[in-house]
Amino acid sequence: MVANPTDLRDEGLIADPGASPASGAPIRQSNLWKDAWRRYIHNKGAVVAGVVFVLILLYCLIVPIISPYDPNEVDFAIANEPPSLEHPFGTDKFGRDLFTRVALGGRVSILIAFGATLAILFIGVVYGSISGFVGGRLDNGMMRFLDALYGLPYLPFAIITLAIIGSTNVWTMMIALSIASWFTTARIVRGQVLTLKENDYVRAAKAVGARWYRVLGRHLLPNTLGILIIAIFLELPAVILGEAFLSFIGLGISPPDASWGAMAQEGRTVYRTHPTAIIVPSVAIASLVLCANFIADGLRDALDPRMTES
Amino acid sequence: MLKFIVRRIVWTIPVLLVVIFLTFMMMRQIEGNPFRQSERAVPEAVQANLERKFNLDKPWYLQYAYYVKGVFSFDLGPSLVVRGRDVNDIVKTHFPNSIELGFYAFVFAIVFGIPLGMIAALRHNTTVDYVAMIFSNIFYAIPSFLIATLLIYFVALQWGLLPTSGWSSWEHKILPAIALGFAPMALFARLVRGTMLETLQQDYVRTARAKGLHYRRVVGLHVLRNSLIPVVTAAGPLLGFIITGSFVIELIFNIPGIGQYYITAVSARDYSVVMGLTVLLAVIVIFANLVVDILYGILDPRTRDARA
Repeated sequence: MVANPTDLRDEGLIADPGASPASGAPIRQSNLWKDAWRRYIHNKGAVVAGVVFVLILLYCLIVPIISPYDPNEVDFAIANEPPSLEHPFGTDKFGRDLFTRVALGGRVSILIAFGATLAILFIGVVYGSISGFVGGRLDNGMMRFLDALYGLPYLPFAIITLAIIGSTNVWTMMIALSIASWFTTARIVRGQVLTLKENDYVRAAKAVGARWYRVLGRHLLPNTLGILIIAIFLELPAVILGEAFLSFIGLGISPPDASWGAMAQEGRTVYRTHPTAIIVPSVAIASLVLCANFIADGLRDALDPRMTES
Repeated sequence: MLKFIVRRIVWTIPVLLVVIFLTFMMMRQIEGNPFRQSERAVPEAVQANLERKFNLDKPWYLQYAYYVKGVFSFDLGPSLVVRGRDVNDIVKTHFPNSIELGFYAFVFAIVFGIPLGMIAALRHNTTVDYVAMIFSNIFYAIPSFLIATLLIYFVALQWGLLPTSGWSSWEHKILPAIALGFAPMALFARLVRGTMLETLQQDYVRTARAKGLHYRRVVGLHVLRNSLIPVVTAAGPLLGFIITGSFVIELIFNIPGIGQYYITAVSARDYSVVMGLTVLLAVIVIFANLVVDILYGILDPRTRDARA
């Protein structure tokens, strides 16, 4: 079955030179994360998506630093130029270099996306683990409440939230995007906690007298970590698109700072003659969303082989 | 079965109350009510009269009760900005357009998405499957405003086949429906493919094949029916998806629908309209969930007790 040393290492049958020889004997050294990594790198689509994802992040981080162009300098002499060597993505209607501006916009979009995703996870974990852990009537009530909110369109509530806060910046966008988007995560977490609660090691911990917070903190939450990592990449696309929609209908953060959605909205005014101004930021959004979707699929197969694609 | 349906319908009432309550409480937090003294200088007596007229002098729980009473008697209250116009008028003039748009988008998604998923599943691991899945993954990721803009740019401007915006004739309705239906189409394709692959592995499919049933008959009779159950359950979230998308699509194509009016109302700070439309959208989603749950209960009897 095993043909060469690489495979042996993969199977954990011989010691990995990088791994610490715990007992000295070449025993099978494998854990959830190693297995998951091995499964993940066998999924070509997910690997490519992961690499592109990192490249997009690096592009957003590095390009504004090394770019020779001032992202906010207006020069109508070179407005609406098509892509060229000096301006790989062309210029917008104010003559600003899109290659630099898309990178800057990406910083804003990605910051909002990760912030809102973490907020969603936080609310979801708190709500879901309380519901699943306490169980009984409270669980029943909390889940009924979730059922009630299930499927509500987040956009109207995000808009109202922005109206309540009264100002739009990166932080308020995070709040607006997370306020009506945590229902699914809460459900997933609760399901996971319910399953784990019945495991023998949890019963054993309880039997030896562990308090509830220890059971929750030591056993239940760490074991939902895999699910949460998947949830990050499942939630991320929705949040990126949500931010893009909000900005596109004119409720995004205000200029000259611009997220990808706000740039697309700006490009909409000139798309009849210069479609690149809307295509470039939109394609940036689509690439990030596409990568996140593939990464989520890969992570799901890697971290939780029992879950099937739905 | 009847018991399940009745329980499920009864359960919808507190859900509606909670959702209306949350929307109501959120709207109360917004600064800049058009009736506040700071917004426009009116004599105190007029101010008091205005507040009395719109029940703003009452405590919040009474206001909430009035509002709930209004919602259940299909009266969403007056507009605060456009005089003499109430939210019901706005719903009557704008809502049919939105429903029409959403319906066409849904039809587009079903007509193209389900066959695409079926073909991909039946030709599993072939080029057809890969191409179908690459396309549906890409279309699922592209923001609808890009699809809309590209459609307008090529079909309407470059080739001059269809009008760019508006909502007056059937020609105007094709591009918006396609733009809004693209992402749901991709979702359907992925969903149908996934469930169909799973169904094809089932013992009863193998049995049907083993006893000599023709392949087409097996697919048509056993596989397709069981693969479509998750499609029904996806209809609920999909509705939210289409509502969200319609905000953008109606704006781009200048369609006089709920989404476009919603944005107008937000910028005009016409909060009674915003609240009325939010409650309306929420009620629609809640009722869609109700219908989906009941359908699901009929299609898959195992779920009745769990979801009741």
